[in-house]
This record gives sequence, structure tokens and C-alpha cells, in this order.
Amino acid sequence: MATVIAAAPGKAAPWRGLNKLSQEQVVGVITVVLLIVFAVALPGFATTQNILGLIRSISILGILGLGMGLVVISRGIDLSEIALMACPWAIALIAIDRGLPSFWAAVLALVLAAGIGAVNGVMVAFIEAPALFVTLATTLAIYGAAYWIAPVYVVYANHAAPELLFFGHASVLGIPMPIFVFAAAALVMHAFLSCTSIGRFIYAQGDNPDTARLSGIALRPQTVLEHVLVAVFAWLAGLVWIGQTGSMQTNIVINGTQIFDVILVVVLGGISLVGGRGGVFSVVVGCALIGTLLNAFTIMDVNSEVQNIIRGIVLLLAIIVDNWLHPRDEETARQGD
Amino acid sequence: MNKIATLDSPAAVAAPTSRQPVLSVSGGSKIYGGVHAIEGVDFDLYAGEVHALVGENGAGKSTLCKAVAGAIRLTSGTYCVDGHPVDFQSPRDALAAGICMVYQETSLVPTMTAAQNIELGNEKLLTRFSTLNIQAQQLLQSLNFQVDPAIPVALLGTAKRQMVEIARAIYNKARIIIFDEPTASLTPEEIIHFFNLVRDLRARGVAIIYISHALEESLKISDRITVLRDGKLVITAKTSEMTREKLVRYMVGREITQTYYAREGAKERHHRAEKVLVVENVTMGAVVKNMSFSVYAGEVVGIAGLIGSGRTEIAKIIFGALKRNLINGGMIYLRGKPVRYRVPKQAINDGIGYVTEDRKQNGFFETMRIDDNIYLSKLATKAGFTFLLSSAARNKVASYWIERLKIAALQRKARIVELSGGNQQKVVIAKSLAQDPSIIIFDEPTRGVDVGTIPEIHAQIRRLADEGKAVVVISSYLPEILAVSDRVLVARLGRIVAEFDGATATEDRIMYAAIH
Repeated sequence: MATVIAAAPGKAAPWRGLNKLSQEQVVGVITVVLLIVFAVALPGFATTQNILGLIRSISILGILGLGMGLVVISRGIDLSEIALMACPWAIALIAIDRGLPSFWAAVLALVLAAGIGAVNGVMVAFIEAPALFVTLATTLAIYGAAYWIAPVYVVYANHAAPELLFFGHASVLGIPMPIFVFAAAALVMHAFLSCTSIGRFIYAQGDNPDTARLSGIALRPQTVLEHVLVAVFAWLAGLVWIGQTGSMQTNIVINGTQIFDVILVVVLGGISLVGGRGGVFSVVVGCALIGTLLNAFTIMDVNSEVQNIIRGIVLLLAIIVDNWLHPRDEETARQGD
Repeated sequence: MNKIATLDSPAAVAAPTSRQPVLSVSGGSKIYGGVHAIEGVDFDLYAGEVHALVGENGAGKSTLCKAVAGAIRLTSGTYCVDGHPVDFQSPRDALAAGICMVYQETSLVPTMTAAQNIELGNEKLLTRFSTLNIQAQQLLQSLNFQVDPAIPVALLGTAKRQMVEIARAIYNKARIIIFDEPTASLTPEEIIHFFNLVRDLRARGVAIIYISHALEESLKISDRITVLRDGKLVITAKTSEMTREKLVRYMVGREITQTYYAREGAKERHHRAEKVLVVENVTMGAVVKNMSFSVYAGEVVGIAGLIGSGRTEIAKIIFGALKRNLINGGMIYLRGKPVRYRVPKQAINDGIGYVTEDRKQNGFFETMRIDDNIYLSKLATKAGFTFLLSSAARNKVASYWIERLKIAALQRKARIVELSGGNQQKVVIAKSLAQDPSIIIFDEPTRGVDVGTIPEIHAQIRRLADEGKAVVVISSYLPEILAVSDRVLVARLGRIVAEFDGATATEDRIMYAAIH
């Protein structure tokens, strides 16, 4: 205890420049470094086929991440996103079996998903229940209802509905469709967040809900909108999923770790859980990093338990780096002066 | 130690050059994100001395005190206690060395009793309540505090909570106590009592660092005064050699003159002007009871009153941020039309603006730039809403208000947290004015604003009234109320209890109405 405090502000100086780097830039740099390392070290990594496969494999995660990112930016969360993806589509596939045209089945899935999203939003916005619990509860309710209607874990897409499979299965100009869908979704979302006033209001809500309310932003309708949009992105992800697998598995809702992966890519890229920070680019770089790692693990034949451990460590590291880059305590301490 | 302190001659204690200071900081610096919060500050404190620390917001008072109390660590410099260099890792270390900070926001646990709070952090594994209460009672009595140790702290008033905090400090054998704005929420009588208490502590040989915005208080209670400006030490001097004018000059670095605005009598003005807002018997729970007043276009109405008088609440009720009672809640008329808002958005669309009393809590968006902050609130109005953002529109509205309010920012792309308190407040005001309100309610418009900026904000408030807007200013700082108001209303216990013409109001009369 009895030491003179070191008079060396210069010691911290080399790191000071890093403070100006945002988390998404840091993750972006790490991803590029990893890509180069794997390209050199792993045979078969740097082929067009593998890279396309890599992007294709993260498309669904990316689309889900865009929806989750939106709601996390507004300082909310939606744990029911996987359920919103799987269950309405499972019901829609069964409807196709019973003779509903595939277009109307897709509309049915969209209406179901958006409806449940709206219920989520109303519960969070008007009844003011915490989003975490509301969406956890609806996850179980949706899963239960879907299983009741379709008591199988895997609902196969009818071969009479090839147009449904197009978005997940087909390739255009040698590039798989899921990549186009992800890119389009990301562009639309980016335009929405950065070019429209409602997009800015969503950031404002996440930054400081009290200020947003006193500034005259209608928070409640906006919260409902956010949860509906999450459902729409989940629906889109489901469309790609069906194309890729030819089926919809409802058991991923409760068995899988999908929802954690979605939160992982969102937080990893710098969409902070405190709200108001990050953007579409965060989701893209988060997905890129995770996709690169998983792809390399597959090539290296790392078993899935080890993969899970590494995913967990990456998430923890992301949180630690975020805290280290943005020491919020000191910032607030200074404001209090 | 007790013998050195006498109440009448603090100066005798003030220059003990031969003795060793109980605490000294030399060349203390603290850097946050590349900016010096304090830079090369020398500070010392002797036993049995009250050392006042004054300076504008952001001058570095709190930073220095936090470093002394172990809440933060100095980036460089030496910090000695009793002549030995120390490096506290946490407030706990500082407490062990007898240094205790009594915070602005009281840090007591509301559901625990006074006795439990006093012992907090020093509990033995098993505690007998009876023994605890007796010990606490003895301690409180020895300090002359009239507090029942068995009462939960939540039921005590602000003044008594402060007594419990001080008792806790004494219980922890504090030799050095730091008071950060201790009188902010006390009534005048309580302040007098508090001063006696500080003098008593001093007589016991406790060293006290005293931070207050009210310069008169610092002059009254302290033995020495240290002035900080922009994180640097300006002067440390005996209080007996200081005056208010000198202090302000040291704090600001230039002369400040308070402008009082010329007014005509209320009667002539009201004869011409439109009655814009009428508040009639508005009631909300136990906080606002039958409050009634009206506001005319083109005038500034000041509302004075102590904390808890319902002045902030009535503003929030008018603005739709709080809801008045559904039954027997009274009426609010806007230009003769009865209104009841569920959310602030409706009030804003009807042309009501509210400038918050707590800008850090709900005044601005910290992640956003200055211009985005201003543009966003314009977008949130019915008239200003466009679906697509336009950087031309943003630049237009932002430059207009930055220029009009003289917001000193190196660039409007700067983030708002990088600004000084005064400039932040101006942005908060700009956010509200960008919504083009015809009635504007300012709640504590100059709280935490640098002394130099206060007259500028007052001028802006007057300008709004001169433009024909109806303005309400709520403030606990009476000179402010007197400076800007055409009419002064005094709130007490949820009612308006007195009304003065701006020209005839005096601080004494307002204060009398506010507390009797």
C-alpha cells in the first residue's frame, strides 16, 4: 500500500489509440487476421467453394442476428426468435400438406410470426413486463402450440412446393441464394437504421428511454414495431432454413443452442446490451468471425464439445474487450464531476 | 487535539505551518480518456480545520475528493496521510485510514434502521439488536443528534439521514470527513443546525473538506478555501482574506455581473397578453395538492420552493410525464381548452416544452452527436417529422440553435459528453426549443452550470418571453428566480402559497413564504 503512485501517464499511451477503434473494427481486424492465418495454414480453406460455403452457413444466423440486433439496440431482447422462426413455418408446412398453396402458406407463416411478435411487443410495451421473461414465456407457449398442431419434431417440406425451397437451395450465378437473402436483408436493415427517423428513434430508445420519452418519441408503438420486425426477420430466416434442409425442426426451439449463437454474434460485433450502440455492420462482422472459426474447426475436425467451449470463450472475451475499450465507470465518474 | 479549536477564531487554527498536515496531495493529476480532470493539484488539510473546496462544475473538486477518499486513483502525484505516502485501492482502504466521504446522494440502506446503518460494514457475525441500539443511541447522543436508532432510515428526513451518515463516519473513527454538497436538500433551519455540527466536529479535531456550490456557506463555515479552475489549483487562502466577489473572480477567471431584467407591472401586461396556461386545483397523490396558477404569453413566471414542494411534479404533470389524479385531479387548460396528456408526445405536439432538471438522467442521448441530439427532438414532433433523415435539415436546425444559444463546441459532430456542464445544458435547452414550443417550462435551468454561463442562459430565457412565449422557471436558487421572473410564485407542500410581482419580490419574502 505504501508506495508513491507511479508518475507515468505515458505508460498507457500505446493503447490509447485503440480506444478510438470501435468494437466492430476490432472484431473485423481479428476476422481478417484469422482468415489469412487459416488460408495459409489450412489446405482447402481458401477455395471459392469453401468461402461460399462459409458465408452460406452463416446466412441464417446472420438474418436472425439482424432481427435480434434491432431489438438489442433498443435496449430490449427477444428470446423467442428461434421459436418465431421454427413454429409458424412448421404449421405452414403442414398446411401445404393439407393442400394450401405454398404462397399462401408463406403468408400464413408470416402472419403467425408477426402476430406473436406483436403480442410480445404489447406485453413488453403496454403491460411493462420485462422482455426477457415475456419472450421466454412465449417461446414455450409457441413451441407447445406448434407441437400440439404438429406432433412431430421434424416437419418435411412437401416436394410439391419447390418454389419455397428456392431461397435456401438454389444458386444464382454460382452463388447460393442464402447469401443474396442475407445481403438484401442487411442492406434493408442498414437503410432502415441509418436513413430513417424511426431507425434513429430506436437508437435513441436504447441510449436513454427516459430522454426518448421526454423528447416526444412514442416508445410503446415503437417497441411493438421492434418485436414485429424481429418476427419478420425470423420468418425470413425460416424460409432460408427450409430451403437448406427441406424441412423445419421444431425441436431446435428447446434443444438447440441457436438463440445463444444469435446473441453471441450480436454482442460480439459491438451491439452492446446496454443499448444504443452498434449496427448492421456489427452483426456482419460478428457472423464473419463465428463463421470463420466454425468453418476452420470443421476442416480441422474439432469435435463439437470443444467448439462449444471455444464459442463460450469468444463470447466472454468479447464482453471483456468491450469493457476494457469503453470503461463506462470512469466515463460516468467524469460526468459526475 | 481538542484544545486547539475554538469556535470564534477559526483563523487561529488555520495556519498551523509548524504542524504536519493529516492529509496532503502534491502534484495530483487524474487523466480520463486523455483529458486532465485535475492537473498538478497541491492540497493539504490539518486536524481541526474546515477546508472548503470551490470551483465551477468540472473544475475537479469531485475528482480530487474521490481520489482522497480512495474511490479513484490518481494518475500521478503523491498522496500522503500523516506524512506517509499511501495508495488506496478502494474506499475501504481509505476508511481504514480514517477518511470518510459523505456523499451528495445519501448512501444509507433505506430499509435498515439507523443503528444498523451506523454499523453497516462492521457487523459482527452475530448482532444483538438491543446492544446495537444502545451503542448507537450513545453515539448519537454524544453527537447531540436527535435520532431514534430503531427507526428505519426511509422514515427519516434528509437532515436526519445526514446525521446518521455523520454518526456512521464517527463510528468508523473517521479523522477526515469529506462533505460533498451537504446542504443541497436542507431547509434553512437545518442548515444552521448542520453548521453547528460541523463546528462541533472541528472542535473534536476532525479535519473536514467541505464542497458546496453556495459560496456564502463556504465563506461562513471554513477556515481555509481552495479554488480550483479547469482542474488546476488557482489559490489556497485563509477564508478571512476572501470575499464572495474575489472567489467568483478566482473561479471564473473574469468578472461576472448579474443582470436583472427591467419589467413592467404584471397588471398592464396581463391586460394585453393571452392567458395561455391555466392550472386549476391540480392534485396528484400527496405531492401536489390543489395547485392553481396561470401563465400569460410573454412573461416569465418563476416558481420557487423547497425540494418536495411539488414544483417539479406540477411541471411534469403539465408536460404529461406524470399523471394527475383521475378523480378530483383538477383541470389544466391550454388556451382555454381542457387537456390531459398521457405521454409527453401529446404535450409536445400541443406546443409545450419541458427542460429537465436532471440532464444526465434524462436530458440527452450520450451516444449521439450534438447535432443529432437537436435534430432528433425536432423529428419527434408532428410538424418536424420526416420519414427519411436529411443531413441538410439536420445541419440547418443544429447550426441555428448552436449559434443562437452560443453552444461552444469545437465541432457539432462532437459527442455531447465531451462538453462542459454549461454547454450540455444549452444542448438540452436547444433540444426542447427545436420543437418550437409556445410554453416552455425550465426546471432548474442552471443546475450544474458554470458560473460564467448562467447569465447567458438567463438572457436566453428572457429572450423567449420577449418573443411572446410563455415561460415558467422552476428553481431553488433564489437569485435566479429574482433575476429572470416577471412574477414569482412560491410553492410549499404541494400548493402555491404566495405570489409576488417580480419587481417587489425579495429573497427574504420568498424564503419566508416557502417555509412558513
